[in-house]
Amino acid sequence: MTDRLLNVDRRIVFLAIVVAVGAAMLWPVPLPIPPSPYVMDVYRAVDAIKSKPNAKVLLSFDFDPASDPELQPVAINVIRQCMQNNIRVVGMALWPEGVGLGRAAFDSVAHELGKERGKHWTFLGYKPGIVTLILNMGENFKSAWPIDYFGTSTALMPVTQDISRLGDFDFVLTLAAGNTIDAVWVTYAVDRYKIKLGGAVTAVMSPDMFPYLQSGQLVGLVSGLAGAAEYEKLEKSPGSATRGMVPQSAAHVVIILFIGFGNIMYLISRRRERAGELSRLRKRDAVAKGGAGG
Amino acid sequence: MLFLKRTLPLIIAFVFGITAIALYYIPHQKAANLTETFAMWDRLIAAFAYFLALYSLISLHARRIRRQQAGWGYSLFVYFGIVAMVAAGFYNRGHWALVGLESDGAYDWLFTYVYIPAEASMFALLAFFIASAAYRTFRARTTEAVILLVAAAIVMLGRVPVGVLIWSRMPELQEWLMSVPNMAAKRGILLGVYLGAVATALRVIFGIERSYLGGGED
Repeated sequence: MTDRLLNVDRRIVFLAIVVAVGAAMLWPVPLPIPPSPYVMDVYRAVDAIKSKPNAKVLLSFDFDPASDPELQPVAINVIRQCMQNNIRVVGMALWPEGVGLGRAAFDSVAHELGKERGKHWTFLGYKPGIVTLILNMGENFKSAWPIDYFGTSTALMPVTQDISRLGDFDFVLTLAAGNTIDAVWVTYAVDRYKIKLGGAVTAVMSPDMFPYLQSGQLVGLVSGLAGAAEYEKLEKSPGSATRGMVPQSAAHVVIILFIGFGNIMYLISRRRERAGELSRLRKRDAVAKGGAGG
Repeated sequence: MLFLKRTLPLIIAFVFGITAIALYYIPHQKAANLTETFAMWDRLIAAFAYFLALYSLISLHARRIRRQQAGWGYSLFVYFGIVAMVAAGFYNRGHWALVGLESDGAYDWLFTYVYIPAEASMFALLAFFIASAAYRTFRARTTEAVILLVAAAIVMLGRVPVGVLIWSRMPELQEWLMSVPNMAAKRGILLGVYLGAVATALRVIFGIERSYLGGGED
């Protein structure tokens, strides 16, 4: 019996996840979402520059649709926070798939708040090179991006005309689903061009970021769907990440229950195996003693 | 031919490798200008890599279809996807490819309603496999495994709101695990990785590591 329970058909595990996540989506319950210190650091970094004249923020969309649920809510809320506080915001992408996602995020918030492209925001698009693009931006922003994604000259747009190099941005946020955050932004942009960098990463990447948080190379970190929900809470605009917290909690609980159940079954089976082995040894000893006595 | 195949690439790697390192430490406008020029060259070369990638993808799937390998039907979808996206991008709502990509065209539609849901769904499937794999493999066989198990449970619960309901200090404990033991281990690993990267870079620059030239180290 325990052997059968130890090797439960994987379809039963899949079904349990479907039921838990489905039920959580159909009947959501309000859950507390306390913002973590690292998420608050990113929020404060943007908030701190709102009173500065001509403050500028750069958002880099370094992710693809697989990470859209975790990172797109952060992008939308940071853009909203900037636009609401009259901070000029510029977008770019180090991943080609980030272009569609970046445009969608800017279009939705700019339309909602009635902000004008070229004056309050712009999106630069994607260029290959990654490291060398950052180096190029660090030395001469307008030679790296002579025009934006829509074909407008960056030298003529009010949003970018006074930016001559990467260091002119007051804050840079990279939304990353790969190693561009540490291997590119931290290594080249932070240390060489002295920018203030924040990160928004997928949950699986967040453990890798802690050395950079402790060293101060990252000023803050929004990690995974939970981080996105915390940012939505700080921005007071609950959206898809907040809604995702209930199904995610349910999935985590189911996984932990399965792990716990699997371990209980494992311990029972190990105890039985040991007891069986012990009784076999006792029998063998008894037979040996009987033989020696006879 | 050996000069073009071996010697010239080694000279290029040495000259540009040494120059790039030197430029990093020279705080002069001329060094900055040269860095900018190198960066633009590199980006042009990187852009050509996309043509190579496209050629590689097309020829790989052509071979699969020709040989009718297992799952060759999926290769037809690769061609279908390439043609659909490229055609939509070039058509660009009737403005063709000479101007920037227009919003709300066929390309946007395909990206938003086909590509994003397809890739997000593929990634979402991970939740099922993680659950199944965790159930089968996460066993308290040794003391180290028990520590890992307990740490994983705390992090999993501390990262979601339900953890707060179970114990109000769960997020703090999770934060401590991430920012102290995890950070210490990660820093050690990262130092090792980057020292290895520096050693490999120096081997490439000085021509000791030649595998990037193809054909092994001869």
